[in-house]
Amino acid sequence: MWLSFFTPDLFASAIRMATPLALAAIGGTICERSGVVNIALEGMMLVGAFFGVVVTLATNNVLLGVGAAIVAGVLLSAIHAFASVTLRMDQVVSGTALNILALGLTGFLMEVIYGHPGATNGIQHIIGPVFNFPTGGTGVLATIWTWIDQIVFSYTPIVYLAIIIAIVAQWAMFHTRWGLRLRALGEHPRAADTVGIRVQAGRYSAVLISGALAGLAGANLTLEQVGVYSDNMTSGRGFIALAANIFGRWTPAGSYLASLLFGFAEALEIRMQSFQSVIHVPVQFFLALPYVLVVIVLAGFMGRAVGPAAVGKPYEKE
Amino acid sequence: MSETHEASVVRENLWMKALRTAGVPLLSVVLAMIIGSIIIKASGMDPLLAWGALLKGAFGSPDKWAAGNFREFGDTIGRATPLAFAGLALAFGFRANLFNIGANGQLLLGSITAAWLGLVLAGLPGVLSIPMILIGSALAGAAWAFIPAILKAKVGAHEVITTMMFSWIGLYLTSWIIAAPLKDAAGNSQTPMLAQSVWLPTFDKILPGLFRTPVNAHLGFVIAVVLAVVVWWVLKRTTLGYGVRAVGFNQWAAQNGGISIAKTTVYALCISGALAGLAGASEVLGTNHRMFDEVSAGSGFGFTGIAVALLAKSHPVAVVFSALLFGALSAGAGMMQLTANVSDRIIMIVQALIIFFVGAETVITWFIKRRQKRALEEKGATDVA
Repeated sequence: MWLSFFTPDLFASAIRMATPLALAAIGGTICERSGVVNIALEGMMLVGAFFGVVVTLATNNVLLGVGAAIVAGVLLSAIHAFASVTLRMDQVVSGTALNILALGLTGFLMEVIYGHPGATNGIQHIIGPVFNFPTGGTGVLATIWTWIDQIVFSYTPIVYLAIIIAIVAQWAMFHTRWGLRLRALGEHPRAADTVGIRVQAGRYSAVLISGALAGLAGANLTLEQVGVYSDNMTSGRGFIALAANIFGRWTPAGSYLASLLFGFAEALEIRMQSFQSVIHVPVQFFLALPYVLVVIVLAGFMGRAVGPAAVGKPYEKE
Repeated sequence: MSETHEASVVRENLWMKALRTAGVPLLSVVLAMIIGSIIIKASGMDPLLAWGALLKGAFGSPDKWAAGNFREFGDTIGRATPLAFAGLALAFGFRANLFNIGANGQLLLGSITAAWLGLVLAGLPGVLSIPMILIGSALAGAAWAFIPAILKAKVGAHEVITTMMFSWIGLYLTSWIIAAPLKDAAGNSQTPMLAQSVWLPTFDKILPGLFRTPVNAHLGFVIAVVLAVVVWWVLKRTTLGYGVRAVGFNQWAAQNGGISIAKTTVYALCISGALAGLAGASEVLGTNHRMFDEVSAGSGFGFTGIAVALLAKSHPVAVVFSALLFGALSAGAGMMQLTANVSDRIIMIVQALIIFFVGAETVITWFIKRRQKRALEEKGATDVA
């Protein structure tokens, strides 16, 4: 039984599930490093997921769909940037408003465009895996190859893209001038301002990047995973991503690894559901598993996590 | 010279204060409705028809009132009731600088407790059973906020994440309880119907002379109003309330003043949870008389409570009025959908815009503070001169 439980697909599924979390979490990391809290990641993922489907259905071009998802995320994040940087609004309040706006707007437009609530129409073809190597056969070598193929070569483009983004962002954040400036914005904006870094412009760009990444995360959900947008389908992933960012200690690579943990919990949840006849535990307990894990991680592993010093505080030029 | 200047500063501040207290929220609502209208219009529907239908659905019409039929008013009050409790929950948290974004989870725990205790205590007279159920639901809500509260106080885990996670855990926990141990005999995803003895009486039962036809408004609304005054009094006049406000205003100053941040945080979040639990109880005892399986944790009264509290600027008594506004929007949404074919999701959009505009008020406050500062500086300069 355990052999059929821990299949290579379980681990591949973990990496697939981790992808939207990781993209949003890296967005959250960049945003918070600049000193802006972004609890609207959830809403940005939602509009990304929704407009990805809408544009794909309208143009029959899934690439345009991915582009639309990113643009939608960026547009929503632009409102957040304007509110929290220019208006110096409470960033949590702005984020909450945008989450509700995203839920309302997607639900509203869904009915206007498709004439029914609950879900959009489905797209014809979801984005397939990048590689398609032959598998099968018997023997040890064939089994090893199946594992390698499943865990390394079975993914859709955005899954690989997320790994590349994590590596590039990690490098950029700690080894480039951009990264140094970004971190200065979140730690000591006054000092950054004094040495001539443009605080507001820097924060704007960080918030917009987080919107683009969250939008891309939404595209991964609908255009690569399920092929249809259903109401509130992110189900708290934006908040799990924020937890992953904290668990990853405000680093892109850490965010990715923490997302892997939560992604594994999701994969486990799905796998356990198919073993329900053997395990005899109600399905709701599996569904709650990822959320429980987040709480345990925040409670135990964390110790006292210290974020950027100036996060959440609007900067006022003297 | 300096005195007249001072007087003008004071006068201006009073005017500004009045504007800030009532003007900005009202302006926010109007602005949100205008943008909502633009969205409706852009989608090819008629905004005036839509809002007209909404008003009718939320308040009824004079000919109905004359006949003692206040069904629509009753719907508005009925919808406003859980929103008032949830709004109080969020407002209490906000006062301590805590954002109980997962109030909906505590609400669900309150609901399931009421649905269970309602079955257990069916044999008792209502005067005994109802208070016991309400206390039980409040405790359940407080318990569901307790772990996030402890985590916030001890390891600094942000309550926005932890209460949100508990909201989802609560959703699945109650969903399981409804599906298994408390399952309705008919096998639907709902708990069994409660005995009439534990129902909160509706207004037509309390005041049959005024309400001559059945209404959905129930005693829960009266409880919410009383509770709003109690919460106001607790915040204003008790040591606990002082601590909550002090921690919310300035943590470090409060700590230096001898107030324990950790303790106050735990109390405040648990009280917030208890109030959210009551929202769930009032919905079960007053409106549904059973609990249904929630479809999504991303919506629900707990989330609308955020908007209710923000619009009321976390003032407990203002929460009641704010809840009535959102109650009216929610009660009228059905008629709007029916008459003008506008999705009830427009209400959610308007709600988001209201939060946004009320939040943007900080801009106004910031300007006022700057002007005050400048005025004081000028005054200081003239005094020195």
